[in-house]
Amino acid sequence: MKRNWRRGIIGGLSFSSALFIFQACYGTPQDFQPDLLVEGQVTSKTSGLPIKGVKVSVEDFMQYQFTDEKGNFSFYTEWMDSLTIQFADIDSTENDSFSDKNTLVINPGDSVNLEIILEEK
Amino acid sequence: MITSIKQAAFRNFKKSETKRHELNYLFWECTTRCNLNCLHCGSDCKKDSTHPDMPLNDFLSALDSIPSPPKHFTVAISGGEPLLRNDLELCGREIRKRGMRWGIVSNGHLYNQERHISLLNAGMGSLTISLDGMEGSHNWLRNAKNSFEKVDYAIGLAAGSKRLNFDVVTCVNKKNIHQLPQIRAYLVSKGVKAWRLFTIIPIGRAKNIPDLILSGPEFKNLMDFIVQKREENTLDIKFSCEGYVGDYESKVRDTPFFCRAGINIGSILIDGSISACPNIDRSFTQGNIYNNNFYQTWQTKFEPFRNRSWTKKGMCADCKNYRDCQGNGFHNWHGEKNEVLVCHKSKLESAKV
Repeated sequence: MKRNWRRGIIGGLSFSSALFIFQACYGTPQDFQPDLLVEGQVTSKTSGLPIKGVKVSVEDFMQYQFTDEKGNFSFYTEWMDSLTIQFADIDSTENDSFSDKNTLVINPGDSVNLEIILEEK
Repeated sequence: MITSIKQAAFRNFKKSETKRHELNYLFWECTTRCNLNCLHCGSDCKKDSTHPDMPLNDFLSALDSIPSPPKHFTVAISGGEPLLRNDLELCGREIRKRGMRWGIVSNGHLYNQERHISLLNAGMGSLTISLDGMEGSHNWLRNAKNSFEKVDYAIGLAAGSKRLNFDVVTCVNKKNIHQLPQIRAYLVSKGVKAWRLFTIIPIGRAKNIPDLILSGPEFKNLMDFIVQKREENTLDIKFSCEGYVGDYESKVRDTPFFCRAGINIGSILIDGSISACPNIDRSFTQGNIYNNNFYQTWQTKFEPFRNRSWTKKGMCADCKNYRDCQGNGFHNWHGEKNEVLVCHKSKLESAKV
């Protein structure tokens, strides 16, 4: 802690605001941005079994992922105060047919775990 | 007066950072396979690399030797072309599981929408794509006739993501130096927020191609261009940390020159070698993850990186700026290491004559 104070003081004296942020010559920028790990499982209300192939996405974002054999999903996305996670059964006939569902997540930490139950149409 | 205080404070800062040598940026040369054959390649990558890709578990074992990585520890995955690895997303997820951040350096050829989404899903937070000019000069340097088209698409995708810390890097050479205003306008039109400019040092394939190396006046023009465009604030433009640039120091970057190779920056190279930036002469290798504990090596070795007094020779011996430059970027010492390969400051001084 004491050492961090000293670093801060010396850094401040050299008037360089970005002193502790650097980039290797041929590397990527450092990543200081907060993000959110969204994970969970999608199951059927009727059977209780996991549903494969449900498209999980964040509203207004390009990112999406499909649930796996165990109905699981896991992806990182941009951190926001609130975000709507959408669940859509877009292969309808393959694993029965389920209604879409939206879930609002408010003030998440750095991860959120969702247990989603979809109703059959 | 203020300049002197700033300089003295920064020298002290460098000294304390060197003593502390906290590892917080790690290159992983995960493959040396490449889908291009660029004229300036410093690593002489090949499509059919003699080295197999490093198995993920080998890299993770080395990563796991770091007892408590600092917050925002970054793994910069490089190559070769990292997108040639089909398990790149898995690699990224494993890095994130360890509380670290990661990004890739790519030529953009394989960066399509599907890959963009899967990489973001896997927690990729930073991305650097190379663009070496407008169509003709980019394709010339990349040695591929459709490269610009592909990189244009990749840049559009990456620039559209709010999550990514994305920047474009350009190797400035004789063929593209006159296009810099045009390239800048193009990047702004694509929504790019950050642009880093390099020059090419005469190593690897580059040493045999004179068109790649800027003259003193051309290098000065590059510095003047950066200074002028930084004032405009539309795009975060900067010169890379490749070397000390004398009077331009406070004008072309956010912080003064500080080569952090071996001080904060380490690397694990394709054969398991432990070093700093991948473009550093391989004779500076400090150990190998297949024989040595990675973190112990980081903590106990790296003497030539942390005490650079050995660079005070050749043209550096009597240089009045040595305290601020300390032998220039570490990657400028190759072969016999009797002389610094490039002195950016003297290049600028030669332009004044």
